[in-house]
Amino acid sequence: MKMVNAFNMKRAAAGLRRINLDGLRWRVFDAKGQVLGRLASQIATVVQGKDKPTYTPNRDDGDMCIVLNAKDVCVTGRKLTDKVYYWHTGYVGHLKERTFKDQMAKDPTEVIRKAILRMLPRNKLRDDRDRKLRIFPGSEHPFGDRPLEPYVMPPRRVREMRPRERRAMIREQKKAELQQQKTDGTKKGKKREAPEESA
Amino acid sequence: MNKDKIFKLAKGFRGRAKNCIRIARERVEKALQYSYRDRRNKKRDMRSLWIQRINAGTRQHGVNYGNFMHGLMKENIQLNRKVLSELSMHEPYSFKALVDISKNAFPGNKNVVIPPRKVAV
Repeated sequence: MKMVNAFNMKRAAAGLRRINLDGLRWRVFDAKGQVLGRLASQIATVVQGKDKPTYTPNRDDGDMCIVLNAKDVCVTGRKLTDKVYYWHTGYVGHLKERTFKDQMAKDPTEVIRKAILRMLPRNKLRDDRDRKLRIFPGSEHPFGDRPLEPYVMPPRRVREMRPRERRAMIREQKKAELQQQKTDGTKKGKKREAPEESA
Repeated sequence: MNKDKIFKLAKGFRGRAKNCIRIARERVEKALQYSYRDRRNKKRDMRSLWIQRINAGTRQHGVNYGNFMHGLMKENIQLNRKVLSELSMHEPYSFKALVDISKNAFPGNKNVVIPPRKVAV
């Protein structure tokens, strides 16, 4: 793993060809504890340049995006074991697959990179936008001397719970409370009664 | 006669379409059809581009496009999207003033935020 990281550092630092204009800002995203898809959609809007009022669709004007702590990105539900990445090699019958867990073990940066690339529009600017993404599994990056700007994620808007979900949640809460009361009652029966009476 | 006109219109086409009359005639007909259609599409595309630019500009100030336009309609400000997009690009302070007017008129819907459910790492 250490060898892979050293190789990534060199490649990431030296990969700045003069294709990019340097009137662009360098935004830093921290992926620690963020949900994968929601983070990727924010990064995709920034890389396209859609948060600037001077957006032009035929010209690539997005900011350079640096993503840190890629190994700490989260997914909800059972996606850790059930999300499968498929790809076909071109030979008949060779449909390969790899689960999310294995991909994170192998190369955690690829997970975020795939998520973002698949959210960008499929046109001629997609490769240039890919070049503007730098993803690092840890929190170290060789761009310390640039003027970096941390990106503040907008507050998460979760829709209201549907009535059935709300009722299920209330039922679970009540069950948890009952269980707590039972265990507290059986564990310290006599000792608890004394402070209750006094209170 | 007609051939020269067609070759004149076929400048810049790919391969034999700029040199050989049979292919050029087809391609030129198609090109003229596209240009007829696109003269009407251009108006739609430009409006969509203005809306994207206004959206980007207002989100920098914390308001999204829909709430912004609703606020302007309430205040009976009849600036069109073309002018608003130009303001958002070149006149940031005037645009901020407009965003403030819109916020006063229409503060936005109540945002329901419930703490997130369990997240598996």
